[in-house]
Amino acid sequence: MARFFASPGAGRVLTSPHVIAGGLIVAAVFLCALFAPWLAPHDPEDQNLIVRLLPPAWMAGGDPAYLFGTDGLGRCVLSRLLYGARVASYVAIVASFGAMLLGGVLAHIAGYFGGRTDWLIGRMVDVLMSFPPVILSLILITALGVGVNKVALAIVLVDWTRFYRVLRSEVLTVVQRDYVAAARLLGYSSSQIIWREVLPATTPLLITLLSLEMGIAVVVETILSFIGLSVEANVSAWGVMIADARNYVHQTAWNLVLPILAVFLTVLGFNLLGDGLRRTLDPRLALRVGR
Amino acid sequence: MSDVVRVLGQRFIAAVPILLVVSMLLFAVLRMIPVDPLALSVPPNATIEEIDKIRHDMGFDRPIAVQYVVWLQNTVHLDFGRSIQHRDSVAGLIAETLPATIELALFAIVIASALGLAGGLYLFHLRGRPGEVVADLASTAIMSLPEFLWGLLFILLFGVALDWLPFIGRLSPAFSRPVHSGFLLIDALIDRRFDIFFDALKHMILPAFALGLSFSPPIMRVLRSSLHDVYAEDYIQQARLRGIGEWRILVRHATKNAILPTLTLMGVQFSFLFGGTLLIEVIYSYPGMGNLMVEAVRNADLPVTQAVGLVYCIAVLFINAVVDAIYLVLNPKLRRR
Repeated sequence: MARFFASPGAGRVLTSPHVIAGGLIVAAVFLCALFAPWLAPHDPEDQNLIVRLLPPAWMAGGDPAYLFGTDGLGRCVLSRLLYGARVASYVAIVASFGAMLLGGVLAHIAGYFGGRTDWLIGRMVDVLMSFPPVILSLILITALGVGVNKVALAIVLVDWTRFYRVLRSEVLTVVQRDYVAAARLLGYSSSQIIWREVLPATTPLLITLLSLEMGIAVVVETILSFIGLSVEANVSAWGVMIADARNYVHQTAWNLVLPILAVFLTVLGFNLLGDGLRRTLDPRLALRVGR
Repeated sequence: MSDVVRVLGQRFIAAVPILLVVSMLLFAVLRMIPVDPLALSVPPNATIEEIDKIRHDMGFDRPIAVQYVVWLQNTVHLDFGRSIQHRDSVAGLIAETLPATIELALFAIVIASALGLAGGLYLFHLRGRPGEVVADLASTAIMSLPEFLWGLLFILLFGVALDWLPFIGRLSPAFSRPVHSGFLLIDALIDRRFDIFFDALKHMILPAFALGLSFSPPIMRVLRSSLHDVYAEDYIQQARLRGIGEWRILVRHATKNAILPTLTLMGVQFSFLFGGTLLIEVIYSYPGMGNLMVEAVRNADLPVTQAVGLVYCIAVLFINAVVDAIYLVLNPKLRRR
């Protein structure tokens, strides 16, 4: 770790505007999620039917007690957004790490050993890739049942192929390098070589994909909670808020715009971070750009 | 031409085992669920004997492998069984909704290609200029909002606030739908009802643009980066030395090669786009296969879920095959002499 921070790569990463902007947004979302119970001014499920559909506090008719206004049942939009960040962050972290583990492990095994294992996993990927991702997640949710953890599991089962496809071809090129051949000649076991020689070379790509996958996971969770297949009825999620707000589009746009903005900012954060990491962590790309 | 037929043939042969595994997967996954398919189709006052009789008639008392083979045989003959909630034949439901989805997806594909290719050329044109950062950020921003959220924002802006375009359904209630092929735009033209044609077109603009817009940024980016690669090659420099104008080099010389990697990506993008119609249909209450699927998933309507899932897979494989064929047409290196 210490060696990483002293390397020129670390300087590149930590001064990249993409990484800084994305990192700040992502950190803010995670902090909101972590401290939601302390930050939220109201209970997110508390209905106050006297103050239904209030506009945000800065608009005419707004109530300073409800900074972002209230929804159709008189619930505090700000509090619901903060609690929604919990669901989003949870799914983003669990699902993307799961997909990374499954896809990464299989990619390294298939890329390193090749042969029949590679063929078999490749055909599995073909089958999964012949579904549009949304359709596959819907079918899996039908089978697995409803709930946040099921959603995370469905995302893992759908999206490990994203890691697999990219990482496998990277492993194939890394395995060709002389230092891997040298390690083989020195008599290291396959698992040692994968762990100590191949993995360090594929880690930049792994981290980049992880960041992008978190954004994808947030979107999928929003989709499934929008359709009503993710969280229980008494949990705030951004997709649920969007679905609720659709019934009131003619009265107020804020209820719809705010959760959409929350999804947008979160995904933008992950995308910026991933993009910045891709440009700065990969020495070849960084040299070509000329940083 | 014969190459195109060959590639399509190869793709078709390769698709058979994939579809077979997909069908097994669909069957297995959906039989795993804790819902008893019988409970939904038996009247609540049925006796045990009646239930057993229905169970026997529907084949649920036979081994799962036998059930699969029977299901597969029927499926190959386009008999997908009856919907549990609609009590209609599933094939009929799909025949009703599939043309609507195809129409929407095709419209969106045209928009995504136009925006993606034009945007990619423009991004490349901006290289090294101050506008590049802004344009780059804009494409990241477009990409950060999934299609269905674009759809909702379009409804808010162009539907509710500005009231320019309709955003519910496929046709205004004042019109009755002409039914020939199921493709509304074509049917309207067959009947020479241009009022219906334009009304249907107006209904499709918002959903198709939401879909097309959200799938265009990756196309832009790949086109730009492959243009970057192509411009590093000698023949571009050579064309410059021959005194050919920059614009002509970009369009006639560079794009011809840069389009190939872009096309590969477009194949993947468009199969995702076909899945993206699902949410767009839900949001715009568009009577396509997506709404059918979501309704079926919510109500545990297994025959519909299975069949619609299979149709989506076939669509993806079909799109990939078509893109492969186009790739072959555009890439002379792959042609057999």
